[in-house]
Amino acid sequence: MMNYKPLIEIWGDSVNPKSLVKAIIAAVIFTLGAHLLAPSENETMGLFFGLAGAVISFAVASFFIKPKRNVEERDEQ
Amino acid sequence: MMDPSLLIGMMGAALAAVLLYTFIGFIPGTDETSVLLPITLALVLTGVDAMIVVTFFIAAIVTLNLTNTMPTALVGLPGGVMSSAMIEHTLLIKSHGKSAEIIKKMATASMLGVLIAIPVSLGLAHILSPFAQVIEPYGAWLFVIGAVFLSLISRHKVLSLLSIVPLAMLFESLRHLYWGTGVVPEDTQITVSFFLGITIGPLIFKLFSLLNQNERLKQYQDAPKTISIPKASDNKEIVSPLQILSFDEMRHLSYGALIVNILFVLSPVGLTILVGETIGKRFTSPLKRSTMSVVSMSATVQATYLSGIIIPLLALGIPLSPVAIGPGAALFNAPPVYTPDYNIHHILSFTQLTVAIIVGAAIALVISYVLITKYARTITRVILSRVPHEAVLALFIAFIVLLAFIDAGFINIFGVLLIGLLTGGLHKMGVNYGVMFMSLYAAPLLIEILIGGVF
Repeated sequence: MMNYKPLIEIWGDSVNPKSLVKAIIAAVIFTLGAHLLAPSENETMGLFFGLAGAVISFAVASFFIKPKRNVEERDEQ
Repeated sequence: MMDPSLLIGMMGAALAAVLLYTFIGFIPGTDETSVLLPITLALVLTGVDAMIVVTFFIAAIVTLNLTNTMPTALVGLPGGVMSSAMIEHTLLIKSHGKSAEIIKKMATASMLGVLIAIPVSLGLAHILSPFAQVIEPYGAWLFVIGAVFLSLISRHKVLSLLSIVPLAMLFESLRHLYWGTGVVPEDTQITVSFFLGITIGPLIFKLFSLLNQNERLKQYQDAPKTISIPKASDNKEIVSPLQILSFDEMRHLSYGALIVNILFVLSPVGLTILVGETIGKRFTSPLKRSTMSVVSMSATVQATYLSGIIIPLLALGIPLSPVAIGPGAALFNAPPVYTPDYNIHHILSFTQLTVAIIVGAAIALVISYVLITKYARTITRVILSRVPHEAVLALFIAFIVLLAFIDAGFINIFGVLLIGLLTGGLHKMGVNYGVMFMSLYAAPLLIEILIGGVF
């Protein structure tokens, strides 16, 4: 089993600080990078490219980082 | 007669909103304002018809408020800010092994909340609209009064009152800094990114405090949370709402959903807690009390959001409620498309707005109700085992950095950081979001009053 430690609870759920820092850096780079790639004369496209970058970074982070939750299914009594 | 292509556009927008916000709603901890505002703003800036914008927004809030309650009930992780108010009750219900049952009750209550809130708030908007012309010149004053009023009804009155002016000075000093250095032209009033700075404040404050190693060492946990999902299979057949809720439950949730429409200027979270606790208190058995509370809260959440957007949008044209100032801000102010003097309120007629609201709500209700009663458990399991919390937090940070950059360039990323640190600290001390949002809108007038430019 992967070693998740250390863990910290932020906003009601556990995170690994190192993964969190990596995820934030990647998200900011993807988002601002995509935003700057957009045609500069068009404000709307800028926002769209940026949002798309954010969504891509979200997918990438979800692929590389394992959720720190033990999910189990249990019968209700 | 309505243009058929417009109607198709509206339906498409509603459908997109339902799919997107069903997914977002199931992800624990996704703050409503941070996920509603940037996407609505993007849609507004494309310049699509105002009716499409309204349909999208209504479908989005109805879906989000409904789906947010699902992870809350099933696994005890709040789907958003509104459902964090329910967590204590849903945990108790879950410990009794009744979570499969309660999600159906909550979904049905949520639906009834929408069905009650829409006609009531349309009616209230109709009654209030003659007063709009009277109120309009005093719009800025209403925000000052609103900030004071929200402070007075909050739990920490003196703390909140004393925070108003320093907050106003923070916002205005950043604006004047940007004007003075020529970062933005002097007629540009930066609001959106400041607003999100407040929303994300507690997260920024927490992350900064974790950069202190002593603080971090204190907070390390031993093991990840164990989350149990009830195994009872999702019910594949759709039953009539009337078989799910008892008469008593329907009666209480209707009171809740009715009363909050009149109180649309107050904080949705505050109102929801108030209604849930007031109704819950009437019952002595813990299980019954918690069930009554979450059922009435599910309906109330929808009613606070719908009245909070519908009444200011139809009757006033100024964002005079926490919902309109917050998640719905792009409907009132999204330059260059909408401005405070020329926004959806001025563009659409009462009938057009009513049609858009009904189409959005109807599509969202039907689809998300079916999805939830059939697949709530499956969606929860997939999202909890695939979506890491790190990615969710990083997404929020990315949103805010992007909007800060768009509003006023690189320097504003640090401006918003400053706002986040300060408001996050105040939030931790007990100042609620409503007071801070109102202070942001009241800031220009407050500063004028302070330098003696008004009297």
